[in-house]
Amino acid sequence: MLRDVFKSIGGFESFGLISMIIFVVFFALLILHTFSLKRKDVEDFSRMPLDDFSKESDEIQDI
Amino acid sequence: MENQTFYYDNKIVKNFAYATLFWGVIGMVVGLLLALQFIWPALTFGIPYTTFGRIRPIHTNAVIFAFVGNGMFTGIYYSLQRLCKARMFNDLLSKINFWGWQLIIVFAALSFAGGMTTGKEYAELEWPIDLLVAVIWLVFGANMIGTIIKRRTQHIYVAIWFYIATFVTITVLHVVNSLAIPVNLFKSYPIYAGVQDALVQWWYGHNAVAFFLTTPFLGLMYYYLPKAANRPIYSYRLSIVHFWALIFLYIWAGPHHLLYSALPGWAQSLGVVFSVMLIAPSWGGMVNGLLTLRGAWDRVREDPVLKFMVVAVTAYGMSTFEGPMMSTKTVNAISHFTDWTVGHAHIGALGWNGFLTFAVLYYLIPRMFQTQLYSRKIANLHFWIGTLGIIFYAVPLYWGAITQASMWKEFTADGFLKYPNFLETVTQLKPMYAARAIGGGLYIVGIVLGIYNLILTIRAGKFVPEEAASAPALVRAEGKRGSGEGMHRWLERRPVQFMLVALVAILIGGLIEIVPLYLVKTNIPTIASVKPYTPLELQGRDIYVREGCYTCHSQQVRPFRSETERYGEYAKAGEYVYDHPFQWGSKRNGPDLSREGVVSGRQYKPNSWHYNHMLNPQRLNEQSIMPVYKWLITDDLDISTTAKKIRVMQFLGVPYPQGYDKIANDDLMIQARGIADDLKSQGIQVEPTKEIIAMIAYLQRLGKDVHAAGMPTAAVTTK
Repeated sequence: MLRDVFKSIGGFESFGLISMIIFVVFFALLILHTFSLKRKDVEDFSRMPLDDFSKESDEIQDI
Repeated sequence: MENQTFYYDNKIVKNFAYATLFWGVIGMVVGLLLALQFIWPALTFGIPYTTFGRIRPIHTNAVIFAFVGNGMFTGIYYSLQRLCKARMFNDLLSKINFWGWQLIIVFAALSFAGGMTTGKEYAELEWPIDLLVAVIWLVFGANMIGTIIKRRTQHIYVAIWFYIATFVTITVLHVVNSLAIPVNLFKSYPIYAGVQDALVQWWYGHNAVAFFLTTPFLGLMYYYLPKAANRPIYSYRLSIVHFWALIFLYIWAGPHHLLYSALPGWAQSLGVVFSVMLIAPSWGGMVNGLLTLRGAWDRVREDPVLKFMVVAVTAYGMSTFEGPMMSTKTVNAISHFTDWTVGHAHIGALGWNGFLTFAVLYYLIPRMFQTQLYSRKIANLHFWIGTLGIIFYAVPLYWGAITQASMWKEFTADGFLKYPNFLETVTQLKPMYAARAIGGGLYIVGIVLGIYNLILTIRAGKFVPEEAASAPALVRAEGKRGSGEGMHRWLERRPVQFMLVALVAILIGGLIEIVPLYLVKTNIPTIASVKPYTPLELQGRDIYVREGCYTCHSQQVRPFRSETERYGEYAKAGEYVYDHPFQWGSKRNGPDLSREGVVSGRQYKPNSWHYNHMLNPQRLNEQSIMPVYKWLITDDLDISTTAKKIRVMQFLGVPYPQGYDKIANDDLMIQARGIADDLKSQGIQVEPTKEIIAMIAYLQRLGKDVHAAGMPTAAVTTK
């Protein structure tokens, strides 16, 4: 069946077009998602590495 | 909410850090030896174990999988625990991961030196070690996913997304590219042949760069850069777009390693388009990293960790601009097969991976040992010597590459190649090779200084194997999406589902490129005159693979006038259908060999020339940089494997007659005696049972089938 699908989509040039469409849709949804994020959530997430304070290691400050 | 106390496992991080330093020195010293062999080929010492073709895979594998691999594990084991606020899932799995990985590295080095190789770049390990790699990699994945599941944070930070993508994609790449049928414990043939093998191999090869050298290090950047700068990441939104776009696009770009080859044009075009698009997410990561330092640039002047990070991220930006540029056909026509590719790879390996690894080590070793870095001055010296080393390494290679490509393509006013002797284009590069060796040497000096600094830091401190931490227990949210919770927000707290979506994202590109090549026969038009190798040629081909000849010689003539004039007929997909594995190569330190056996061709040499060339290349031309292969003349050919090799080839679809395995050695000896007799007529006494006979048989076969088909020698471009 897969063979028939690949044979019937009208030449391999279509592959480039199909691939681009897949990516553009994927990318557009991604952009929509990131703009839908709440500002506070985004700020909290971006601070996560700084929240793993450990007394023993983070007292060793700038080397 | 209950506050839980737990302990980070620093011991496993320390073990990986030590292994990183140890293998870094080994891998780079072997690299320096290789660089020196370009200037003094006698440094192969005339023995098989140190010859260029065998130790080049030791260098590449040691740097990629031993130095960078251990560096990656060091950074991940440290950051994952802290980002998840949890100890690693299972200490035993951590230990198996560590010792298993070191065992693989030792096996790899021994097997490559012993000539056990699949002949596929960056995937040279033979099948038993491949199986071990798969097991140890799954142990790492299980340990990582287990840790993420038992975390004490609701959200999974973006660095961990990159770790997850690394695990998923490397698993897929390794398994698919390593599928092979064993002949015995030390030898196998890949299930793919020719063009198909080339596409799968470079789908793997390119994405090993993407998902072993890039995504895990982007994850490390997203943790260690904010930590070192004490600033949150510049844009979390950008990191989301950057992550998904990067993993989706990267997987398509493999065919750019095969431009102007016999790979179908549509696959080449896909590779070009997606490679150019890759600039966007790659630079998204670089910009996000550099802008994280906004307001903290003054600290870059003082802090060696930040210095290393800034150059690492800049090198990443440079090489991810250079890569897409080299993927365009116009630039690729010049850069491919030259040392430009080697320079490009080393900007990434030395700048991005090497410097980020040292930034991570300089960051975490003082912290794990509860002390300050022993000397900031030595760290700064390491930084500057290393940076100079990178420049001295790459610039001469770029210069040399453009010089060589120009010489390959130059014609006289009368329409003849200006430099018909390939060796002329190599000797011209020797000063550049010397400068490259100095650059590599400087980089190693920097590393030695770094190790000295870290040893004194370790001696001054007191190691904390179990680092106490505390965090509230995670209140598990329901598996279903909460009201108002978007799909992606839900995904960001579900590691297994996240892994599956990442898997789908990376599979799309691979499937669209690879599947049609297998299902649609018109992609690889067959050529009636192309026949399977004779048993002697097959044995000779295996010696060619064993000695790593593909590390210097290509077997793929591009459709340029400058190449068809020099070598002969350009490459056709149908001529490689029995090549398990393909041996197209990726650079030309020596000439292309795919038309070596065409008697009327420009590359043809008699049997006696090949014999003398293997015995002592410098005796034929003292400028030659070819290593000696005198053991081929003294070592007996192992014909006990012939029958099994024929059976495996038959299983893979090579049309040897039924029962041919039983009489293959008879044919082998007839052909071998013919070559030995011809050598004897030239005054060379050699027994027909020696390896050199099989090697000559193979070299004299190359290109004959296509020539027999009587194809016109017409170039399709005038480059």
